[in-house]
Amino acid sequence: MGKPKVATVWCEGCAGCHMSFLDLDETLLDVLSRIELTVTPITDFKDYRFPDVDLGIIEGGVGNEEQLEIVQHMRAKSKIIMAWGDCAVFGGINTLRNQTPVKDLLHYGYVASASTMNGVIPIHAELPRLLDKVLAVNAVIQVDCYIPGCPPSPEAIAYGLTEILLGRLPVLPSDMIHFD
Amino acid sequence: MTTKQIQITIDGKELSVDPSWTILEAARQNGIEIPTLCHHAALSNWGGCRLCVVEVDKSPKLAASCVMPVRNGMEVVTANDAITASRRMTMELLFAERNHNCMFCPDSGECELQQMAYTLQMDHLTVSQSFPAFPVDVTGEYMTIDHSRCILCGRCVRACQEIAGSYVIGFHNRGPETMIGFDLLEKREASGCSNCGACLQVCPTGAISSRYRTHYAVKGQPADRLTIESICAGCGLLCPTRAVVRDNQLIRIEGILADPNGRPDRGQLCYRGRFEVLKTRGPRLLAPMVKDEQGQWREQGWDQALEFISTGFKSARSGGLFGIASSQLSNEVLVLFKELMADRWKARVDTLDGDHFRNLATAMAGTGETMPAEAAWKKVTDADMVLIVGADPHGSHPLLLSLLRQAHIERGIPIAAIGRTERADLFSTDYLEVAEKDMEPTLAALAALAASPDKTARTGEGVDNQQPAVLDNIARAYAGAKTPLILVGDQLTGAKSGAGLEALFKLARLKETPTGEKAPVAILEPGANSMTAWRLGVPDQKASEVKAGDGLVLLGDEQDAELNALAERLQPSACLVVMSPYFNAALADKAHVLLPKPLWLEEDGSYIGLNGTPTMYKPKVLDPPPGVKHTWETLQSLAQRAPSPATPAAWADIRMKAEEIINVKNR
Repeated sequence: MGKPKVATVWCEGCAGCHMSFLDLDETLLDVLSRIELTVTPITDFKDYRFPDVDLGIIEGGVGNEEQLEIVQHMRAKSKIIMAWGDCAVFGGINTLRNQTPVKDLLHYGYVASASTMNGVIPIHAELPRLLDKVLAVNAVIQVDCYIPGCPPSPEAIAYGLTEILLGRLPVLPSDMIHFD
Repeated sequence: MTTKQIQITIDGKELSVDPSWTILEAARQNGIEIPTLCHHAALSNWGGCRLCVVEVDKSPKLAASCVMPVRNGMEVVTANDAITASRRMTMELLFAERNHNCMFCPDSGECELQQMAYTLQMDHLTVSQSFPAFPVDVTGEYMTIDHSRCILCGRCVRACQEIAGSYVIGFHNRGPETMIGFDLLEKREASGCSNCGACLQVCPTGAISSRYRTHYAVKGQPADRLTIESICAGCGLLCPTRAVVRDNQLIRIEGILADPNGRPDRGQLCYRGRFEVLKTRGPRLLAPMVKDEQGQWREQGWDQALEFISTGFKSARSGGLFGIASSQLSNEVLVLFKELMADRWKARVDTLDGDHFRNLATAMAGTGETMPAEAAWKKVTDADMVLIVGADPHGSHPLLLSLLRQAHIERGIPIAAIGRTERADLFSTDYLEVAEKDMEPTLAALAALAASPDKTARTGEGVDNQQPAVLDNIARAYAGAKTPLILVGDQLTGAKSGAGLEALFKLARLKETPTGEKAPVAILEPGANSMTAWRLGVPDQKASEVKAGDGLVLLGDEQDAELNALAERLQPSACLVVMSPYFNAALADKAHVLLPKPLWLEEDGSYIGLNGTPTMYKPKVLDPPPGVKHTWETLQSLAQRAPSPATPAAWADIRMKAEEIINVKNR
């Protein structure tokens, strides 16, 4: 059997989790020698209609139709789904908008905000529409393991990947879990 | 006293426990940890969060250990799979119910809810979240409330009742819409909250947070911080405190809760002790400054500045040296100040509140005693009537406001206030607003009414138009009281005429018992250490006798108000030295030398405080900035330039000496 194939996506998040992954320093070389990264925003890969992988990693919550499609596709193509970071695990900071109806939100952002003049709400076939609420990934697909944190520490990310490589589903020990 | 013990088993350990305990108490007393959230050692048991569930006698229905009493033969299991699953579900529901976003919460890293989630390895939620829209209340002067982070544990509600005695915080609405509220309001503003901060201290999440230094960039990680136990020298109540410090920066001050200390306040603090000390005030004075011929302030070395003072004092009018100290200073500094200024420089000494002392002494002279029959402030908790005269506890001794409010609400005793009392509606049953000049006739009228219960007050006799009924009420309450307490404040002791005080003592004498005990009078002295200063005889000369051409040392503290009031009256002097932590703009015009001084947080020292408070030693919480000498060092350097120089003593010696002197004076 070859090296396990891993895909990562970045939905409604800030790239912080991927940064934390890159922050593994020299451990990163070790990790990369043991997995095959297929599709990932790190390589600026934008076509997410990827073939089967062993591990699908999701950063960010699910806030629009495109993200919903991506995570559903990822679920279909991955043996294991791992959620990275508070946004993927809980919805995170993006859920602040859940208290406001989408209509009002767009109106404020594009029309009514103090710095906007003659604003219009952009509507285009290529622009994904917002969902009613930003959701944690496990609210739309089944997730197998979770690495919370904003961002998760490189140690927590390494722990998660190591456990997978050892054939186990990672459950972070108490001292590695953090939500900030 | 030994109580009959009963036998229970916790996790297989056989224990003898007190039958009045709960399972939680029995477990904790025996070193068995059960996780809790709504429970707080300083508050009554609540049983709200269900995190402390345990298995009792193999029952499939788990019991909340914080409220379940022990029973003989009980078998308790504190951890198994079913218990862990229940606790974890409890945590998930708490997180799912509102919006708990740790990444932008000021209390992240110090949050009990967050820590509990980590302990239970809650790495995701299995229930869907409700994302409700709850308001954030930023109307409080010192605290904000994010209702989204509230878990309705009721700690703040209980603390507001049981610690603060305020009964302001309560639950509003029902079900998922429940939120904490203030009186009948949704916001803290305009409520009866006195900003004591007890709710803030017990809040297990970031729902109630302080407006001061809560950002992680300032406060750092818990491991970066030091905790120092000290006392607050903000007023004469000398509340015990726990200060949290990072890199010589004060992060916060907390009360020491759940620690019986013989005080009636149960470890609470007030808005001044908890929040005001965190405010940054004017520019600090970091080196001695001397005014040059052009009237410009220039930084100088200590030697040059002291030499300048020495020369200045020698050119002062003969017998014209004065030393005036704040009574916020420690015993040690006051002892040293009196000795060095009076003995070495032959200066006359006074305190900024010396007039209060002289007024009291004069008023007492008429009664044939030296000091009034003073009562301890703690008597508030067992008096059956409290009369507040010329005092403003909310401004001067805010903690008293809590005790008064509690006495009023819980024991229903009448509390009357005469004078100018802020927020009197919060704790008094009868409030008569009286200006300083009208105090004497009002008190005289009150004494007359209290002496003959069949009389009623009349307009013009000590009271204005609408108020005879109020004076009548006060007189009846006072006449009917068996153990009244009179709290006298600075409006009366500091009045220009001592007539008000004399009238007050007459009123107190009405309650004289056959054994000669009068109604106890508790004097709310203006300074944290006025009593020490007065006992030492520091105020032996009137500061108002200072004349033009005199030499002066003004030893201030961070509260500049009295210093500034004095400054306004000062004539041009030969040499005016001001020792203060801040560059005092009001005094800068008249001063010749400014000497820096640490804040009270930056110096050790003993305090006596109000009557009834034992002498307390205050360890410093912060180090003074570089270049700022301790007050006692500066005073000694100054004394070395005196005509008859003193040999400098070490702090330990000064401390011992102050203790001796104070003990003798106390006898």
